[in-house]
Amino acid sequence: MSALILKELRSLFRSPIAYIVVAVFLAVLGYTFSSVLYLTRVPTFVHTVFQSANLLLVVVPILTMRSFAEERRSATFELLITAPVPSYQLVLAKFVGAYITVAALIGTTVVFPLTLAWLGAPDWGPILSGYLGLLGLSSVLVAIGICASAATTHQAIAAVSAIGVSLLLWMAGTLAVLLPDPFDHLPLALSLHGHLRPFATGLIYLSDLGFFVLATMIALVLAHRLLGRRP
Amino acid sequence: MIDCVDLSIDSGEVFGLLGPNGSGKTTLLRLIAGYLEEDTGQVEVDGYRVDKDPLHARRAIGYVPEQAPLYPELSVLENLSFAGRLRGIKGAALKNAVGRVIDQLELASVADRLIARLSKGFRQRVALGQALLAKPKLLILDEATSGLDLEQAFVFYELVRDFASEGSVIFSSHVLSEVERIADRVGFLVGGRLLNIETNKLLNANRPSSPLESAFLDALASQRATQNVGTDP
Repeated sequence: MSALILKELRSLFRSPIAYIVVAVFLAVLGYTFSSVLYLTRVPTFVHTVFQSANLLLVVVPILTMRSFAEERRSATFELLITAPVPSYQLVLAKFVGAYITVAALIGTTVVFPLTLAWLGAPDWGPILSGYLGLLGLSSVLVAIGICASAATTHQAIAAVSAIGVSLLLWMAGTLAVLLPDPFDHLPLALSLHGHLRPFATGLIYLSDLGFFVLATMIALVLAHRLLGRRP
Repeated sequence: MIDCVDLSIDSGEVFGLLGPNGSGKTTLLRLIAGYLEEDTGQVEVDGYRVDKDPLHARRAIGYVPEQAPLYPELSVLENLSFAGRLRGIKGAALKNAVGRVIDQLELASVADRLIARLSKGFRQRVALGQALLAKPKLLILDEATSGLDLEQAFVFYELVRDFASEGSVIFSSHVLSEVERIADRVGFLVGGRLLNIETNKLLNANRPSSPLESAFLDALASQRATQNVGTDP
């Protein structure tokens, strides 16, 4: 499986997409971080966690759109499927490769807490839990992106559908206000925003971590099923 | 759709699969390679059922689809190394296998070049190299010479004939002359049915002028006549 993961990383960083994504992500996040810091003059990381999450909702599907869609479009999908490798390993390798990339992308934002530390005395607890929350959220987003990419031969369709699903899950909590009790529990339970919020404020609940793990597994199992479809 | 295919290929044999476009050649080869799953019947390679024991069966197969399965953003060396690792070859064994294939297919001059910058002929050679890395028992070539010029095609034929001393080959094409040139036995696939299988030598003996073409046209005519009888009121 390590060969597949290395190939994924190599392919990703040989295309301009990864570099453009990193540049845009850091530029937008740098702008919002500076604006919030200038306006509030409070060394908090909460806004940056949510801004990062908002950007990841768009950025992750762009990074994952190629994973299976490109393989399906070219004959390399036949190379993978006819290789003596179990198909679940193909899905896991795509997931791990993309997840390492997204984790590295999140890692580049460490410059912002360091800036806060330079300018003031930030509370490191919410910063570290915020990073944990972002890694959990990214895991779900990457799995959704891999799943969307496994369903189509078109990268654009994969990206747009993954962004759509991710946004719906992000905003699912807003549907709760329209539903009577006990039906409002379901959208609340599915809300990515709702599960990230405690992390951003320094609270770590195992239920939120469990949700991220479970949602990731469901999306990857679905991706594996979709891989069985042949063009 | 594939129907009524009963085929056995011996070790050291080159089997030519002939058929017009859309006749099901690619589908049949994909079934054998394990890319598609059969609804009924079974495919066995080197004693392993492709559906029941896919990993063992796939280890025995080297498959070159019509479009070379290569990553354009990687170099020849990287593509070969990746294909080798996919087949479980590691460390010194991988280095040896890649070196052997590069020598065998004369790829040394382009080893560090990206696939995106290679000619079609070289790409086909790299694809063949990927399939040969793990020394398969069965080599499946799906229209592997399409797009090659005559010289490249001849080199390809020689490579396939060389490999046949170590394993079996299924070679699909719709070009009669090339199948005639390299196959020991030939099967005609029309409308998903394998019509008849004859040895190339027998064909040559019975039909001195364009033997394969005559046999192919006979087979097509016979199939059409059967269909007409079946559909007449």
